[in-house]
This record gives sequence, C-alpha cells and structure tokens, in this order.
Amino acid sequence: MSQTAPSNRPESEETAGLHDRIRARLDRVTDPELDESILELGYIDAIELDERTATLRFTLPTAWCSPAFAWMMAVDARDELESLPEIGEARIELRDHMHEREINEGVNGRLPFADAFPDADGEVRSVRATLDDKARLSRQYLAVERLLAAGLSPEQIVALTPADLRFDPDVDPRMDGARASIALGDGAFSVSVPARPLDRYLRKARDVGHATSDDDPLFLTPEGEPIEVEAFELVRRRGRLARTNVTGQGGVCDALNEQRRAKLDRDGPVIVEAD
Amino acid sequence: MYQHQGEDVFVIDGHIHMWDASEENIKHRGGEQFIQCFYDYHTAFTPEERQRGIDDYRKFTPEEVKRDLFTNYVDMGVYQPTHLHEFYTEGFNTVDDLGGTLFKEHPDRFVLNGRWDPRDGEAGMKELERQKEEYDIKGAKVYTAEWKGDSKGWRLDSDEAFEFLQKCADLGVKNIHPHKGPTIRPLNKDAFDVADVDLAASSFPELNFIVEHVGLPRLDDFCWIATQEPNVYGGIAVAAPMALSRPKKFSEIMCELLYWLGEDQLTFGSDYGIWDPDWVIEAVMETELSAEQHAEYGVEFGLEAKKKLMGENIAELYDIDIEERKKAFQTDAISEEFGLGESYGAAAPADD
Repeated sequence: MSQTAPSNRPESEETAGLHDRIRARLDRVTDPELDESILELGYIDAIELDERTATLRFTLPTAWCSPAFAWMMAVDARDELESLPEIGEARIELRDHMHEREINEGVNGRLPFADAFPDADGEVRSVRATLDDKARLSRQYLAVERLLAAGLSPEQIVALTPADLRFDPDVDPRMDGARASIALGDGAFSVSVPARPLDRYLRKARDVGHATSDDDPLFLTPEGEPIEVEAFELVRRRGRLARTNVTGQGGVCDALNEQRRAKLDRDGPVIVEAD
Repeated sequence: MYQHQGEDVFVIDGHIHMWDASEENIKHRGGEQFIQCFYDYHTAFTPEERQRGIDDYRKFTPEEVKRDLFTNYVDMGVYQPTHLHEFYTEGFNTVDDLGGTLFKEHPDRFVLNGRWDPRDGEAGMKELERQKEEYDIKGAKVYTAEWKGDSKGWRLDSDEAFEFLQKCADLGVKNIHPHKGPTIRPLNKDAFDVADVDLAASSFPELNFIVEHVGLPRLDDFCWIATQEPNVYGGIAVAAPMALSRPKKFSEIMCELLYWLGEDQLTFGSDYGIWDPDWVIEAVMETELSAEQHAEYGVEFGLEAKKKLMGENIAELYDIDIEERKKAFQTDAISEEFGLGESYGAAAPADD
C-alpha cells in the first residue's frame, strides 16, 4: 500500500510537512508480531486532523487478531501522534474487531491493559518483550546487510559501538532520503548509509536494554552476547531466519488483510484536514 | 497419482481432517468463532473459483472427503484428529469419525492418528489404549492450545504430558504431531509456543515429533530447536498455500527449512478441508528457487527434494512401502470408483 496518501485539498507546504512527519511517526508503530509499520501493512483507514486533535481509524486483518497486539498498536499510535507539537490529543478508533469497545475505551481513556481486560491471562509487557527481542534480531539482520553492502567487513561490524553511529539531529531518520554515518578506523574516516534501517535497529535494541551506553557493542547475538567474529555468519543466518519468520507470518496476515479490506471496501491511508 | 515433468510423485497428504461444525453440533460460541476463523483462512488463500460457501464448509461427509482427496492428486491421507469437545457436542474431528467410516472401508488409503490430552488423566490413558487396540494407531496428534474447563492449554514438557509420551513409546505410537500456530481465535496464543517440543524431543529420542505448521509464527524458534534434535520434523501445512499467492514468501520459508532442517525432515500437508489439496500440491510442486536464493542459502528444491516432501519422508515415519501401495492401488476400491488404476500402472482396459 502506498505511503504517500492523497489529501482532499491541495497541501500547503506547512501541512505537507506535517503530513510527512505524521507518516514518519507512524512508521515507528508496528504490528508487534510482524515488526512492520501499520502504515506499510495497510491497516490505517484514515487520519482526521481537526485543529489540535487527530483521530486515527484502523482495521486489522481479522476480527479475532490478538487483542493484546491490537492494544499495543493503538497505544503506540496514540503516543507517536501526540509526540508531534501540532497535535494536542490523538484519539484511536479500532474498527470491526471483537474487542473494539474494550480497546477504544481503554486506550482513549488512558487505562492500563489489565483494567480494560480484567480477565486476560498474562500481561502485555512480557508479550511485548518477547516480540521486541525477535524484532531486534530481525532488524539487526537488515541493518547489518546494509553495512555489508556499504563495504564494511564482519570484523568492523562486530567492533562497532553506538558512538560510531551518527544521525543528523535536524532530520527525522525515518524521513525519505535521511542518511547516517558510521565512523571507522577510530574516527579517521566514515561511511554514509541510509538512516532508517539503523534507526529501526537501534530503537528496538534499546527497547530491550541493549546498546544503551556509548561503548556497548552495537550488535549482539540472539542471546544478547557480543558477537565473536567467527560466529558472525551464524548470527547473520539466525537473524535472517528471524526476518523470514516475520515476513512469512506477514504473508499469512497480508492475505487475510487483503481479503478483508476488499470485503469491507476499505481504502488505503488518507490524511484528512477537517474544515 | 500426481505427475511432474513426466515422473510419478506419490502424495501422502500429511494433514487432513473431516470435521463437523454444523450449527447443531456447536455448543459454545468458541465453536462458531473457530470455524469462522478457518473460513477466513480458506477464503484468503483459495483461488476465487475454488472457494466454498460457508454452509458447505461447515461439514464434510465421508463421501466428500473421499472424492476431494483422491480425485485431487492425493494417494494417501494422514488424518489428524482435533476433538474440541468443549466447543462441539460430538467433537469437531474425532478419531472415531474417520475410524468408523473411511478408515474401516479403505485402511490402505489412510493413516489414522490417535489423540491424547494429559489433562484427561487415567481416562485419557485408557482411551489411548483403546485407540491403539481398535485402530493400531502409529501416531497421535496433540493440540496444546485446546481448551478444557478453565484451562486454556497445556505444555508438552509437563510431567503429565511425559507420562503420556512414555505410554506412546510403550505402545509403539511413535509419531507425535504437535499442532503449533498459527493463532486461531479463540485459542490462546501462548499455547502455540514451540519451546516445549525441545525437552520432549530430547527426552524421548525413540519418538518422532512432527511440528505442524512449522511453528509459524515461531518459525525461527522451531528451526533452531529442530537443528538440535534429530527426531524433530516440520509439517508445512499452512505455509503451503502461500506457494500460490505469495510464492516469494513460500520459497523463502522453504529455503530456511531446507537450510536448517534439510530435505529429509519435512512433510507435506494441505490441511484439508481448510484448503483443497489439488491447487496446493500444484503450487508447491511448481515452486522454483531463484538464483539469488540458491546463492544465499546453498540449498536445492528439485524433484528429489519435492518427492521426499510430498510423500517419501512421511512414508518412512509410518513404515509405508510406496511401491507396494502403488501396486495395491492399481485395483483397490478407490481406484475402481474414480478410474485411477492406470495412474498406478494398471493395464488400460481393453477398448471394445
């Protein structure tokens, strides 16, 4: 599904900027099982902007998708939208789901998950942690592939630390064309690479408590240990497997989603300014 | 029998059902949710002209099963029971449903698997003995996400499950098919976790563990366990229909499975009646890995590997002599009924 969505009136430069920044924020909201953004996955029906309020409507591939996952997506979308200075309040409307009432009331009422679902066994945090760690590995694979493609050697890659990675502070690394630089040879020279895969990786690594200080290893084994260079290829293959798992499951969900959106006659993402 | 590039491919569909989700049989709203969920999977992957209506989909009779399988490239079917008595008055897809019908009439065409649940205790042990005695079962399907009373699932590495696994080893029920993933509403997700297979498989090296649906959405955990346990196999049901509509994803999954498990550890399943087998078999057989995939993974998915996947591997697990079966199928009742004898090498009937 296209990421550039039409608006129903010509975009001024200012609103075009806001729309791009909304997309860049929503790029960070993932289906936790598939580790793909809800924009990319085509779950978003509409985002309506009215003064300082944004209302996001979305539909999942099935009515019976995990309520815990639906909850995570709704909370994350709300928080990402509200991180923009132009948006004072974000409201979420999950549609056509078995638990839409509990989720919409809970997320918009800012309740904890356990209050919205008193009889759920298990809580959201541990589910999220497990999936985050898989996502970390899958994103590491994509980031490392980029670095290999840019000419870095396995020896250089396993020796990297967060301090070697620099983003442009003035540009959202999720914006199209954003670049990052990797310092090599004790800062003697640097290599420029696309920022998005590295930002995606680093963010998830930090979510699970890795790569938090400047001299930590940037990349780790699935078990969270530093990577010995002899083990680089095995770690790479396990990351590839984690990636195939999410994209493979993504294929199942994508087929369900396509079928359902056709049935419900839902369009792709549209950002609409209220008059 | 299926033909590929002029060669015979003997197909043992490793995952078939014959269910009853008719409204009269549903006793809990979970039963309706369950069949609706299956139906979503059915319509999402089945080519439009082959889709069934929901009423047709609710119940499969022995006559329909016989026709749907054997006129659609399947030579033999492995029946995987799914009892779900909490949701369905007479059960959804029980051992005796096939045992009392098609299996009785055509025992050479089916592998009838048993089923157990450690939460059934002593009565469950007796039932397992009955299944062995009555049907001489050589395998059992276990459904760790099944509801029972307040329980929303169980684990294969629990003490209670180990007692049943020991019983299976004692009885010669050597093939255990844990049903894992994908998420099915209203069954709870964590009951599909594959980690429990690891300890069970290493504790019972005399048993084989065929993880159904290759653990999706836990393919990564599954492959990692399977590389370490020689008696762990992957059943590709649910991944298989992607071969038609999402061929790249399917071939990536096959590459991973071939890389981590190898071509001897994989079995085919259409998951009939979720999907009809013919188009799934065609799509899997037509799958070709790309040059990049060959280079990246260093694996082959040629005719030899496909023949193993489609039947030879599971034949080994169930001591099925394919050549001997082919001979028997030249003249068995199924071939007589559907005119299949020639495909197994019977002489063409005289033209008079």
